[in-house]
Parts: sequence; structure tokens; C-alpha cells
Amino acid sequence: MKNYLLNLLAIMLVLFHLPSMAQTGKIEFTEYKLDNGLHVILQPDNTTPNVIVSIMYHVGSKNELPERTGFAHFFEHLMFEGTANIPRGRFDKYVEEAGGTMNAGTFFDWTYYYVMLPSNQLELGLWLESERLLHPRVDSIGIATQKGVVTEEMKQTRDNRPYGRLLIETVSRAFTQHPYRWDVLGADPHIRNAADHEFKDFHDMFYVPDNAVLVISGDIHVEDTKRLVEKYFAEIPSGTKPIRRPLANEPKRTVEVRDTVYDNIQLPMVIQAYHIPGKGTPDFYAVEMLGSLLSRGQSSRLYRSLVDEQRLALEIAAQQLPLEHPGLSLIIGIPQIGIDPKVMEDALNKELEKVRTELISEQELEKLKNQFENRVVNSNTTIESRANNLAEFYTFFKDASLINHTLEKYLAVTREDIQRVANEYFRDNNRVVLYFMPKNQSN
Amino acid sequence: MKKYLFLFIAGLFLAVSLSAQLDRTRPPKPGPAPVINIGNYDMFTLSNGLKVIVVENHKTPVISWQLTLDVDPVMEGEAKGYVDLAGQLMRAGTRNRTKQAIDEEIDFIGASLSTFSTGLFGQSLTRHRDKLLSLMSDVLLNPVFPQEELDKVLTQSISALTASENDGNYIANNVISSVVYGKDHPYGEVVTKESLNNIKRDQLVGYYNTYFRPNAAYLVIVGDITTKEAKKLSKKYFSSWKKGDVPKHIYPTPQAPDANKVAFGSREGAVQSVLAVTYPINLKPGDPDAIKAGVMNSILGGGAFSGRLMQNLREDKAYTYGARSSLSSDRLVGSFSARTEVGNNVTDSALVEVLNEMNRMVKEKVDQPSLDLVKNFMNGSFARSLESPRTIANFALNIERYKLPKDYYATYLEKLAAVTVEDVYAMAGKYIRPENAWIVIAGNKDEVAPKLAGFSKNNEVLFFDSYGRKVEQSATDIPAGMTAERVIENYLKALGGSEKLKSVTEQVIKMSTEMQGMTLEMVSYHKMPGKILVTTSVGGNVMQKQVLNGDRGQVSAMGQKMELSGTQLEEMKTQARIFPELDYKSMGYEVSLTEIEAVEGKPAYKVKVTAPGGNSKTDFFDVASGLKVRTVASQQTQMGPMTVTASYSDYRETNGIKIPYAIKQSVGPQNIDLKVTAVEINGGISDDLFSLE
Repeated sequence: MKNYLLNLLAIMLVLFHLPSMAQTGKIEFTEYKLDNGLHVILQPDNTTPNVIVSIMYHVGSKNELPERTGFAHFFEHLMFEGTANIPRGRFDKYVEEAGGTMNAGTFFDWTYYYVMLPSNQLELGLWLESERLLHPRVDSIGIATQKGVVTEEMKQTRDNRPYGRLLIETVSRAFTQHPYRWDVLGADPHIRNAADHEFKDFHDMFYVPDNAVLVISGDIHVEDTKRLVEKYFAEIPSGTKPIRRPLANEPKRTVEVRDTVYDNIQLPMVIQAYHIPGKGTPDFYAVEMLGSLLSRGQSSRLYRSLVDEQRLALEIAAQQLPLEHPGLSLIIGIPQIGIDPKVMEDALNKELEKVRTELISEQELEKLKNQFENRVVNSNTTIESRANNLAEFYTFFKDASLINHTLEKYLAVTREDIQRVANEYFRDNNRVVLYFMPKNQSN
Repeated sequence: MKKYLFLFIAGLFLAVSLSAQLDRTRPPKPGPAPVINIGNYDMFTLSNGLKVIVVENHKTPVISWQLTLDVDPVMEGEAKGYVDLAGQLMRAGTRNRTKQAIDEEIDFIGASLSTFSTGLFGQSLTRHRDKLLSLMSDVLLNPVFPQEELDKVLTQSISALTASENDGNYIANNVISSVVYGKDHPYGEVVTKESLNNIKRDQLVGYYNTYFRPNAAYLVIVGDITTKEAKKLSKKYFSSWKKGDVPKHIYPTPQAPDANKVAFGSREGAVQSVLAVTYPINLKPGDPDAIKAGVMNSILGGGAFSGRLMQNLREDKAYTYGARSSLSSDRLVGSFSARTEVGNNVTDSALVEVLNEMNRMVKEKVDQPSLDLVKNFMNGSFARSLESPRTIANFALNIERYKLPKDYYATYLEKLAAVTVEDVYAMAGKYIRPENAWIVIAGNKDEVAPKLAGFSKNNEVLFFDSYGRKVEQSATDIPAGMTAERVIENYLKALGGSEKLKSVTEQVIKMSTEMQGMTLEMVSYHKMPGKILVTTSVGGNVMQKQVLNGDRGQVSAMGQKMELSGTQLEEMKTQARIFPELDYKSMGYEVSLTEIEAVEGKPAYKVKVTAPGGNSKTDFFDVASGLKVRTVASQQTQMGPMTVTASYSDYRETNGIKIPYAIKQSVGPQNIDLKVTAVEINGGISDDLFSLE
């Protein structure tokens, strides 16, 4: 019966890729650059005989052209099609024959590929990832097939799922200039219209060693691994084209936007999206803590007030989009059956008014610190999460050592900071409010 | 020690391979296979019968505590849902703490504590373990199930059900539960709004008192703790828990159907179908078949991307984002399921491919390289799973609960390596049933269901609602000889007869409705041929006017005028006829009678009307009276296509012609109830009324 909440949060987690944090035990790693500009991070952990080879490319949907939205994600699909030395359909077989698994993800700012293997197959992982970077090859059958697959992915994860269009409907209203205004999956016709040569152009611009970080975590020996990395990656040429990088050009919002969207849903949903600074800024940490104050745990302010006491909401969540450029903090609520969404939103606004006008208590700050400590400790327990976190810290801050310093950033946030960011960003005229309403209200 | 030796050898190997010239055309050779060690666990039993399993792992300063009841599922009948709620409400108040106090204390230490019908789970940093345990034991030993909290959770649950009603996977899961397991098995029971309303607090208390007993439970402790500390703490916090007799339940084992059957769960507006081919199997945890059958399932569509379903439906046909199968063991009854989500237009084709792959599994022996790939993949998955100490704990729990041999997991990789082509063939023959399956689809009934009858042995599609309850299609079949044309004829007859209707050249209808506290008056004027005027006013002031005069149309509102063109103009023209049904034939409209469907509980003929341009709508005509009771059409709006539904009732006569006096219209979330206040027929309307500017 509670499964709905879980579903929704699971979607959020997948989409939003919770920010990375360090555990209290220090994570040791080695980093260096190859001559072609590829940044390499090696993080040995010999407790189980597994290894992960991952590459993060600093390209996501925000690097797309407005008439080719969804291309970065579509391109990610094509990168599994094959290379000059790997025929179509063989890529995943090599990995699985070796006992491994692989996947990839695309977001607004990044594209991330990883192969997890038994540690005696490390070299296979390096061969596969270097092949993709050096000379991927895609035939027209592969392109046509992946166009179909991506179309179905759009339906399955977005268009045919209750509330699945939450993100696209929000960003398209929140951003007017910046390419965050389209979502990662993009528009079906854009993908369908893409010509085969665009694939090569995209690769030549973004899939170059100096736009990537290679992270290897797990059961490795550092010196041997360095030699292997050299063997497979040193010959790959650096990029020659200037990389298309959009500016953080979204004008400051000065008036509230309100809109209604009709969808195949049974209960309405209210979304408030506030413009906030990019991840890694001091204010972003404070906004995250404010988000926890509002909705993490059943004692959080919004849960207690709107769900438990007033019984206006079925569920309520505050969640930040961790974006490189200034992004959004979302507050999402589903009203209880029979409750006017406006009534729920009014109650929500009252709670926001409270954090703007009153300092939170010492006790609440202590709670937030404990919650974040727990979260940070649990965020680096696997080689998979460590590789991902190192890759993100390097890609966006050019500082992988942040993996060991995240907790300090949260502990530095004061009660006054939380009140200040509430006033600065959680203002009416700095938000988009969207009502998702059922198309068919016969029930 | 062993590990160092391995590293040393691996190091040697790498050094050798480096000296060779890089050959990119072939994959590099692997090093020697690493040794895979399964961690250890300790176990002890408290005097009240609680069995405690401890897995020590000091990598991170975290300890988790999982309490699992080892009890048979309970039939809940009319009050399905009370067992889950009993679990959920354990943390909603104790003899010592209110729910708010529990929430506050748990959140304050950054910990988590969840309660379920089959146990509890808590996790915290090591330094908060005593606080967490005191809360956990309070919740476990002293829950009070406050009525007020129950009421609250019931309202929430009903809202949550409503939110899920139009979720394809939710609908599919409910249909699967009810068809695969049936109503005589606990796995076949589905929570509904009605069943939630039947739940009483006493049932929750009864479940807790009966089943939450230490002698039927395991406590699994994982993380930064020693066995000695674990003993001391579990005694301190859980030894006062009282023993009790826990009843056992035995249920008849559900059987696969004799032949394929199709079960359809209808989902409004779906553009994709959730598709599952599924049936119960007899496979218990630890069964000697389990590992071999798991390999077989992996080849068909288990975790690997190279699975045949994924390769066929995604990589070859591009029907889907993903397609997988599962073969799960269970102490009561296991299940097989092949599942995917595909577009409406390829649902039948995708189903053909799923059944083809199942048939191929049964008929053909797998080739050795494919088998090796899957065995390697499973070997790697097993090794990766060991990174989490919780895996070791789950192994231990399974060994104890299901009475598996102590070395079941220690020898897992050996058993996996020993699986042969013959084994896979035998397992497919035993567990893959392409001809004894439930074919379950949740999706768009109008677009998908008509293509599915051929998949069932008796050409029948069974329909279900969102909760897996069977929907009887129509109590009455369409009578022999009844056609769409006859239905329309009967309708015209019921209104007053064609002759009378043809004599109507003018019609005025006055209507009113309440909206946001205001009374809106609407008047529609029709004058044949081709003139319409509709005015909407509030308190005597005209707010909006729509006019059609021959080939031109205008809308004016709030002092602004707009000339109509394109589809809007065409749409208005189609409304120019007072009784368009009289002229369907001459205008080239096509009509088809699809079925009898209930409207407001009464059977009605469903007639699809298609205009020459391709636009269509669906009309429903009451079988008994012949009158039109509903129209459903799709309308283009700024929000994309939206469904417009109009219901007609309270027909009354004017000049021998029946007019509906109550019209209920809904567009998206908007509902408008129109009441007719006056009707005038052939009363004389001036042409000036329809003048355009």
C-alpha cells in the first residue's frame, strides 16, 4: 500500500543521482594525467576480487543543440553498438562472458559508463572502454534499432508512467534560456531526425580524452594498473575541436510562474520548483540541509505537518537537482484524496514562511548534522559508489579529494545559513508552481 | 594469506602481458581466476527461542538489525490489508512513546527504523546503537495500535490506491495475483478500497499477538559489532519478549492453466502495454533443481543483457526498452514470469516473440558458448554480491529458514560450474510452459485487446479492473441482426420519429449551471440550414458568444472577437444540424456497432461514428429506450488531445420531440452540470440574430 511512495522516490533517486559524500574513514586514491589529457584515478580496495572501470565524460543534455534534444542520451545507447574491433552485439557479450556487468547513465551535465568485472578481467575492461573512446563504429541498423529502443524508453520511463512527465514539464517552464529547459530524454522527433554523420561529429567534439576521467576502483595493484592504462589509453589522440559548453545564462526569475498540466493520473500533484545555485557551492549544501529539515524522515516539518497532523498530503518530498549550473530545488506533494491541491499548497507555503521568518532550533540543527553524517558514511561503501563519486568530484570541481571532505561542508552550515537560503531562494517570485491534474476525473 | 599469493601471481601475469605488442583486434586474456571467499557468520539462540545471526564487518561504523518472522502467510479475506497495516502501525505508538516521539528520536540520531508485517529493520551509526535498540525493542514489545493512527493510515492507503489505479505495472501485478494464485491462496488476495474499509483495529492487535513471537523469529545483526557484544545487546533488549504458539497454515498449491489464457487489465489512455507470460511453478528454495533452473532462466531472460528476450525484443526488433524473465522459488509456490513493456501497436508481435523464445528454450538445446557465458555471468554476479556484508547475512538466514545444507552457498560456484547443456534442456522441459500460461496484459483496451483473443486456447479475452477483479463484459450479447444503422434508426424513432424531426427548422434551448458560486445561463439557437448562436451570460451580462452563419463563424468574449477557421470552424459546422443523425448517410459518415457496454449500470449500444475527414466519436444508446445517453470524443486543446464526455438524461417532450433536460459534460478535470430550463421548437427566430461583423 505504501509502494507508491517507494516508486516515486525510486524514480527520483534514479533521476537525481543523489550527490556524493565521503565516509568517515579516509578513501585513499592515486590520480594523474596522461599526455593526451585523460585524467586517471586509481582507488585500490582488495577486500573482494572485483573491479570497476568507469569513464565519465563531461557532456550531457545541456551540451545539445535545441533541435537535437535527447542526443547525448541517444548517443550513450549507440556507444554499446560496437567499435572498429568489436562487431555489433558483441560488446555486452564480452563483458558478460567474463562474468561482468555494465551500464551507463546520462544526465544534464554528464554521461557515465562503467564495466564491473572480476579483478582478473581488469584488462578487458580497459580494452572495451578505450575502444569506445578511440574508434566506436555504428552501422545504420544499429542506429535504427536504438532509435526504436529510445522511443520505447521515453514511453516506459516518462510518457506512459503516472507523473513520469514531472521533470520535463517543470524544467520547460523553469528555464527560458538555458539548455536545462529540455529533459535528458529529449524529444522523439529530434532523435528520429538525427542523421548518421551527427554521431561522428558528436564523438569528435565530446568523446575525447581531455573531456573525460577514467576511474578504476577495486581489487587492483596501482603500479600494474598504471602500466595497463598507459597501454590502452595513451595512443588515443586529444580532441581538436572546441567543446561546445553553454553559459550559465538563465536570467534571474522575478515573477512566479503558475501552470496546470493534465495527465493520465488519478490524484493531482503539486510541484514547486525554486531556482537555487549549482552543486558544490556553500549555499547548495545549506539548501540540501533545508531540504532535509522539510522532508527527511517522519519528524520532518512538512511530513509532520501536512501528512501526519493536518492529513492534507499523501506524500511530500523536497529534493534538489544536483546540477553544475544553477538548478532547481523541487517540493513535490500529492494531496490526499478529496483534498483540494490548493489547500495543501497553502499549508506548504505556511511552513516555508516559518523557515524564512524563524531560526531553526539548535536541536533541529543537531538532527540535520546527524542525518547527514549517517548519509555520508553510507555513501561510499561499495567500489561502484566510490568510483562514481570520484568521477563526479573530478569532473565538476577538478578535485577528487572532496570525497573525503563532504561531511565538513555540511557541518559548516549554520542555523543562520539555513534561514538565509530559505529567504534568498525559497521566495514566491523565484519559483514555478505546477499542478498536475487528472485528465479524466470520472473517478 | 592466500590472497597475497594470488596478487603476486596476478602481478607476474600483468607484467608478462605488457611486454607484448598491443593487439586491439582481440580481447585481452584474463588473469587466473581469483579466489572467492564467503565470509563467516555466528549464530546463537536466546532462552525465549529467538535465533540470532551475526555477521561482523568493521569496514564502516554502521550496524543494522533485521528482525524476520518465519511464519506462514495468512488469508485476510474481506479485510485484506490488515496484516500489512499491523506491521506498518507497530511504530505508530507504544505504551511509552507517541508516534511523534518515535519519529523524533529516530530522526534525531540520523537512523532508520521500519516495521513490516514480517519484521523490523533498523540501522544506525555504531555510536547510536543503544538508542536505536531501545526504540526498536519498545516498538517490538509495546505497540498499542492507536485507533486514530489506524484511521489516518487507512485514509492514506485509500489515497495511495487511487494514485496507483492507472499505473500499468500496478494493474498488471494485481491481475497476475488474482489469476495465477486465485482467491483461495494468500498470494491471490488483492487490497481494495472496500477491503481497507473493512479493517478493524482488533484484527491488527490479533495478528501482532499471534505472530510476533520470538520462537518464530530471527534477528540478523550485520556490521561494526562483535558476536560478544551482539549477545549482550540482544539479551538486554530482546530477552523479555514472550514466547507463544504460532499457528501453521497449509494452502492448496495453485496450478498452471490447462491451456493458455489471456487476462486483460484495462488502463485508460495507455500508449504502452505491460505484458507478462506467467504461471505458478513448484520450486522450493534450495531445491536440487534451483541452480540449474536459474541458469536456464538466465539464458532465456535473466539478469544478463545477453538474455534471449532482451536480444530479440530490444536489440533485434526494437519493441522495448527491456525484456526479462524470472523463475523464483518460494516455500509455498514459486512462479515463472517473462515480462516487458511495449508499444500498443506491437503488443501482439512482442507476445509472439516471447512465446517463440519460450518454445525455443523447450525444443532446442542451448549451445555451449551461450551456456558458458551465462555461467560466467552468474559466477561474477555471485562474487560481486559478496561485497555487501548483508549478502552473507542473507545466506545464513536462508540456510536456517529453509534448512539448506550448511555448505549450500560455499559450494554454489562448484554446482554452477557443473551445469551442462543437458541440465538446461531438462530444466526448460520441466519449468517452461509456453502452452500452460497466463498471458497478462495491462494496457489500452480499445487498441490492444481486440488483437489478443487468438492467443488464448478458446479465443477468449478475460477482462479485469485495476484490482484484478473480473469484469463481466456485457450481460447481453448484441442481438442477431442488430446493426449500427438500426441503433441510429431506433434512436430517431425514440426522439419522435424521422418525419417529425425533419420538420424541426428552429430550436432554442435555455440552460443553466452553477460555477464557482455563480449561475451561468447558456442559450443555444439553431436555425436550419447552417445557423447557430450560443450565448453564455452571468447575471444578464453576455460573457461569450459563438456564431455560425453558413461558411463563417466567430467567437467573441470580453470585448474581443475572433474569426473561426480550420478545424474549429469545421467542428462548429458539424454542429449546425439539429439532428445530424438524420443525415449521416448523405454526409458520408460511417457508423459501426462495436459492443454493448454498461452506462450508469444500464446496457447501451456503443456506436463509433466516423466523419468523412476521419474525426470520430463514440455514442452510447440505451438498449431499452433507444435514447442517446453518452458521447465520448477527443478534442484538441493546448494541453494536447483531451477526452470530452457528455452524458444525457432526463429526456422530456416538447412538441412531441424528446430533448435531454440534464447534460453532464466533462473536459479534463472540469465537470459541468447543465440543466435545461426551457425549450422552444419552430418558434420563429430572426436571421439578424446570427449576423456577423
